Amino acid sequence: MSPYGVGRRAVLGSAAGTAAALALGGCGSGSGSGEEGSARPPDRKKGERITLTFWSWVPGIDGPVDLWNRTHPEVRVDVEKVSAVGGAQYAKMHAAIKAGNPPDLGQIEYATVPSFLLDNGLLDLAAYGARRHKEKFVGWEWAQSVFGESVYAIPQDSGPMGLFLRHDLLDKWGIEPPATWDAYEEAAKAVRKRGAYLETFSATNGNRFAGLAWQAGARWFRVDGERWTIDIDDDATRRVADFWGGLVARKLIRTIPDRQNAWYKDIQTGQLVSWLGASWGDVLLAGNAPKTAGKWRVAPMPQWRKGDAAYANWGGSTTAVFAATRHPKDALDFAVWLNSDPASIKLLIKGGYGFPSAKRGYSTADLEARRDFFGGQHYTDVFQRAAKGVDTSWQWGPATDTLYQRLGDAFTEALADGGSFRSVLKKVRDQTVGDLRDKGLKAEAG
Amino acid sequence: MRRATRTEARCRRAAAGFLLPFLALFLLCFLAPIGYAVYQSLLKPKRSGPLGLGGTTHEVWAGLGNYTHALGDPRFLEGFGRVLLFGAVQIPVMIVLAAGLALLLDAASARWVGFFRTAFFLPYGVPGVIASILWGFLYVPGLSPLVEVAHSAGWQVDFLARDTVLWSIANIVTWQFTGYNMLVLIAQLKAVPGELYEAARIDGAHAGQIAWHIKLPLIRPALVLATVFSIIGTLQLFAEPMVLRPLAATIDSGYTPNLHAYNEAFTSNNQHVAAAEAVLLALVACVLSFGFLRLVGRGRDGK
Amino acid sequence: MTGPPLRHRIATTSLLAVAAVYFLVPVYWLVVSATKSTGDLFGSFGFWFADPHPVTYLRQMLTYDGGVYVTWFANSLLYAGVGAVAATLLAAAAGYALAKFVFPGRESVFNLILAGVLIPGTALALPLYLLFSEMGLANTHWAVLLPSMVSPFGVYLCRIYAAAAVPDSLLEAARLDGAGEARIFTVLGLRLMTPALITVFLFQFVHIWNNFFLPLVMLADADLYPIQLGLTSWQGYADRQPELYQYTVGGAFLSVLPLMVLMGVGQRYWRTGLTEGSVKA
Repeated sequence: MSPYGVGRRAVLGSAAGTAAALALGGCGSGSGSGEEGSARPPDRKKGERITLTFWSWVPGIDGPVDLWNRTHPEVRVDVEKVSAVGGAQYAKMHAAIKAGNPPDLGQIEYATVPSFLLDNGLLDLAAYGARRHKEKFVGWEWAQSVFGESVYAIPQDSGPMGLFLRHDLLDKWGIEPPATWDAYEEAAKAVRKRGAYLETFSATNGNRFAGLAWQAGARWFRVDGERWTIDIDDDATRRVADFWGGLVARKLIRTIPDRQNAWYKDIQTGQLVSWLGASWGDVLLAGNAPKTAGKWRVAPMPQWRKGDAAYANWGGSTTAVFAATRHPKDALDFAVWLNSDPASIKLLIKGGYGFPSAKRGYSTADLEARRDFFGGQHYTDVFQRAAKGVDTSWQWGPATDTLYQRLGDAFTEALADGGSFRSVLKKVRDQTVGDLRDKGLKAEAG
Repeated sequence: MRRATRTEARCRRAAAGFLLPFLALFLLCFLAPIGYAVYQSLLKPKRSGPLGLGGTTHEVWAGLGNYTHALGDPRFLEGFGRVLLFGAVQIPVMIVLAAGLALLLDAASARWVGFFRTAFFLPYGVPGVIASILWGFLYVPGLSPLVEVAHSAGWQVDFLARDTVLWSIANIVTWQFTGYNMLVLIAQLKAVPGELYEAARIDGAHAGQIAWHIKLPLIRPALVLATVFSIIGTLQLFAEPMVLRPLAATIDSGYTPNLHAYNEAFTSNNQHVAAAEAVLLALVACVLSFGFLRLVGRGRDGK
Repeated sequence: MTGPPLRHRIATTSLLAVAAVYFLVPVYWLVVSATKSTGDLFGSFGFWFADPHPVTYLRQMLTYDGGVYVTWFANSLLYAGVGAVAATLLAAAAGYALAKFVFPGRESVFNLILAGVLIPGTALALPLYLLFSEMGLANTHWAVLLPSMVSPFGVYLCRIYAAAAVPDSLLEAARLDGAGEARIFTVLGLRLMTPALITVFLFQFVHIWNNFFLPLVMLADADLYPIQLGLTSWQGYADRQPELYQYTVGGAFLSVLPLMVLMGVGQRYWRTGLTEGSVKA
C-alpha cells in the first residue's frame, strides 16, 4: 500500500485533533481536498476553465508559463514568486501546507523533496500515471523523487559542478587550471602570492559542501525499511573537511560567504579568481560581474586521483504537486510539459536555469547563451561531462534544510574558534540523528 | 435605591459594550495564542510507515519534554545570554544618549532645535529590516564606504567579525530608537513648568546643575518607561540578525532566542519545540520587565 | 536676560551637529545609492554619486514584475492605515470605558491589558500563526490586519487621557439630556480625546508599518506582502537577477518617504500624546 493510500485520511484526521478538522473544513469545501485517498477529486470537465497556482523563485520561469497559458487556454497557470532567501520558500510551503492553503505546484529542490513527505505535503503522482513519463528524464534525477512505488515530483534541472576561473589572471600568473585537488592547493598558494584568493570557504553554504562530499564518494543518508542511517562523518567527507580546513587554517582561501555583497565585489575586482560552482552559475557570474566579460572559463572539478572522472551535483530542482490540489491531473500535465516540452526547455534555458533533466529536446549549444562571457568557450561540454560522472546513488534525507543549518552553524563556530573541520562532521552527524528522532523517525549514526 | 441600581446596570452594560470589541480581539490575538502555545508545547509528533516517511503521524503527550529540549539546546541558551549582554550594554548607552540629546536640545538656542530634533527622530521612521539592509551595505568589507574611509585613515575595522557583529547590531538599534526615546524625554521636559528653572537660575545654579539636579529627576518616569520598552524590544531582537545573517558568517541560526524559535518552527518544522521556546521567551520578558519596574519602584520608595 | 555664554552655545551646537551626522549619514547613503545601477552599487564609492539616473531607475523599479512594488506599497498602506484606525477606535472605546465607568473587575481587566504591553509581540507571532492556520486565516489580509487592530498601549494612553480630559460633569449633563451612552461617546468622548487618538494612531501606524515578524510568519503569497517583506524577497533572489539589488535600494528609499513625512508633520502630536502617556507612568 502506498503511504498515501487509505491511511491518509486517518493521518490528517488524527494529526491535530479537532482543530485540524476545522482547517480542513475551511479549505476542503470546494471538492474534497485532503481526501485523495478515499475519493479522488473529479477530473476537470471538458471546456471547464481552471487556474493552477505555481510557487517558484526561478527568475526565468515566466517565459514557459506564458507560453503554456497561450497554448492551453483551459488551464491557466499563475506563477507566484516566493522569496528564496535562506530557504524561506520552503518555510512558506511548509507553512502553507499547515495553513491548509498551499499552491497547486511548487518548485522544490531535490534535497528538500523528502522533508515534504514528512508533513504529507506532496501528491503521489504515480496514481495519475506519472510513471509513463519516466523515460523522458535522466535516470538518477527521476529517481531522486521516487520513494518505493510513489513518484513525488517531476525533475526539472540539475546542477553539475564545475570550476569557474578567471582565465586572464591565471594565465598571466602562469597557473594551470588544477586537474587534481593537490594541484588546486598549489594553485591557491600561487594565487595568494599575487595578493588575490583562489576561493572562499563559505561556512553557511551546506549545499556546496554536500556536493564536494558527494564527489569524494560519501553517502550521507541511507534508508533501510523504516530506519535511516546518517553517515556524515565517513572517510570521504573527512577527506573533504580536512582538505578545506587545511586551506582555511593556512589562510590560502577566504572565508566570506559566497554569492553575497562582498563576494560580488571581489569577483568583479579580481580579488577572487575562481569559484567552485554549478552549471547554473554562468548567469550568476555574467549578471553580477559584467565588467569581467570574456575573462572567465570553465574547467572540470579537480579530482582526488589523477585521471578519475568523479563529479558532483549542486542544486537542481523539481516541479512537485501539492497534495491539496483540486486538479491533480492538470497539474501533472503542466509539470511534465514544463520540464520536457522542447519549446518550454528552450525558454527555461533562455531564462537561465540549470542543466535540463529531460533527455531530449535541446542541444548543448542552446545552453551556451553566455558564451561571450566565457570567451567563446563551449563550456556546456564541461558540465555535460560532469553530469554523466555524477555518482547516482546519492540520496537525500528528510531534514536537509536543518542539516544545512547545522553545518552552517558548526562551520561558523569552527571558523570563529579555529576548531577543526573534522570535529564539525561528528557533531553535525549526532545532531542530525537527534533531529530525525525528534521528528519521530527511526535514525542512527552510520 | 432602585434608581441607583438601574444606573449601575446601565453603566455596566455601556462599559461592557465599549470594552467588548477590544477585549474580543485581545483574547484572539494575545490570550488565545499564549494558551495555544502552551498547549502545543506539551505535545510531540510520532510517526511510522514505509521509509518512516508519510505513514501515520500523530501527536502524543510530551509533558515538559519540549521545554527540557529547548533548555538543553546550548545554542538557544547562548542566544539568551547574547541578548541579555546586548541589553545590558545597549539599553544604558541608548538611554544615556537620548537623555543627553534631550537635555542639550532643551538647553540649546531655539533656531536649530527643530532641525536637530527632526534629524535625530528620522531613523525611527526607517523600519528595522530596511535599516538592517542599509547598514548591511555600510558594514560589508570591500563595499562599505565607512570601512574604506577608516582604512585610508590607517584603521582596520571589520564590523561583521565575531567580536564586533553584536555591537554592529546594537548600533542599528541605537540608531533607530535613540531619537524616539529622546522625543519621549523632551515631551516630559516640556511639561516641567518654566518657573522652576527661573528660580534655580536666580539661586545661581548653572545649566549643568539645573540639568542634573532638576531636569533629570523630573524625567525619571519617562526614563523608566523607555527602559521597559527597550527591554521588551531587546528580547524581540530578530529582524536585524536575520537580515545580516547572509552577510556575516558569524551569525548563526540561533543568534537570538527569537531567531532560534523561528528556525525551529519554519526551517526545521518543529512547531512543538518552537512553541515551548516562545513560551519561555514570553516568561523571561515578563520577569525582566516586572523585575525592572519593581527595582526602580523600590528605589523610589527608599528615597 | 542674556542667554548662556557663547562658548557654551558653540559646544552645545557642535555636539548636536556630531549627533546629526551620525543619524543622517545612513539616510544620505540611501539617497545617493537610490540613484545608482547595480554595477555602481558594488563598484563605486558609497558616499558619492556615480552616473545618477534616479527617475529611470525608480520607473524600472516601479514597473518590475507587473508593478508588484506598487501592490506592496498599497498593502502596507492598507495594513497600517486600516489597522491603525481600527486600533485607535477600539482603544479609545476601551480606554474611555476604563476611565469613565465603575464596574467590578475594572482594575483586573486593566492590569491584564497592561500585561499585554509587556509580552513581546514576536513571542506571540508564532503561536498566533499556528492558531490562525487552524482557523484558516493564515496567508490572508486578515492575518496581518486583525492583530494590528489591538494596541494595549493605546488603551493605556486613552484611559489616562480620558480620565484627565473628559469631565464627569459633562457626561452627567448629557445623560440628563437623555443622550444614549454610544452617542455621548461618539459626540463628546471622541472629540475631547482627539489629541490622544491622533497619537495612538501615529504610534500604531508606525508600529504596523515597521512590523516584519508578523507578516513574515503569516503570509506566503507575495501579493499580500507589505513593503518590508517584499524588499527582502527581492534581495533574496538578487543573485540570479542582479538588477534587483538596485531595485531593493530604490524601493527602500521610496518606502521610507511616507513615514518621514508623517514624522515631520506629526511631531506636535507625537509630543502631546507622549507627555500624557509618560507623565503618569
